[in-house]
Amino acid sequence: MGKKVLIIDDSNTMRKIVTRSLRQAGLDFEAILEAGDGQAALDVLAGETVDIILSDINMPVMDGIEFLRQKQADPKIKDIPVVMITTEAGSEILDEAKSLGAAGSIKKPFTPDQIQETLGSLL
Amino acid sequence: MDLNKSISQATQEIFQTMLMMEASPGQAVAERAKGFVDSVSAIVGMAGANKGMLAIHIPEATALVITSSFLMMEVTEVDDDVKDAIGELANMVAGSIKADLTEQGQEFKLSIPSVVCGAEYEIDCLTDSQGVSMPFSIEGGEFLVEFHLQK
Repeated sequence: MGKKVLIIDDSNTMRKIVTRSLRQAGLDFEAILEAGDGQAALDVLAGETVDIILSDINMPVMDGIEFLRQKQADPKIKDIPVVMITTEAGSEILDEAKSLGAAGSIKKPFTPDQIQETLGSLL
Repeated sequence: MDLNKSISQATQEIFQTMLMMEASPGQAVAERAKGFVDSVSAIVGMAGANKGMLAIHIPEATALVITSSFLMMEVTEVDDDVKDAIGELANMVAGSIKADLTEQGQEFKLSIPSVVCGAEYEIDCLTDSQGVSMPFSIEGGEFLVEFHLQK
């Protein structure tokens, strides 16, 4: 059975770019699901099982850090790997994300090769 | 920190990596631009030890070129896609500058981008500031990137 990915980003443009980059990277997903913030992602995960999550950090309603916190507290989804895709490279906020279980990070702007390199070892 | 270099490198890297376009920087000035005509402006606030803002001001025709390239489809009017794309562009430039400032020991938090557009408008969100306003040219138009900190 094919794998599923969930992309969390408040920017519709960025969700489209990430989707395109996944395909350009040769990562073949059965389904690419989208959510506009952390709360919307938790709603998706209440009804769907995914293999990996790509999440922005700086979002309205529920940001990526709070999403990680809520995900870690839910035994049904806590083991799904999350890769942060963010402009916040090298800052304290990424350290916080890692302490909350983030499996990796990709800095915007990114190339399909960087996506492949980071996700390849997690799938 | 060389602010001109930081803005120039961040903007060029984003255009090369995400848009497959060359963005050529022009002569930076210290004065902020305030009035805009038929344009789209995206602003990211920066809060920390100092307050600041990163803004990108783009004529509508250039914003359509950039959004079409981002989405890989022809966009012919300024709609939510254009506002979202230009907001994300400002977000990425602000993130790169923030990383440079963090290396200098200055921690900032970034706001979510705000986008305004229209036939004629003014932006005046920092009354007493210092910084850089740098023009860029791409195939299909020009735009302005500004980074200013409250004095």
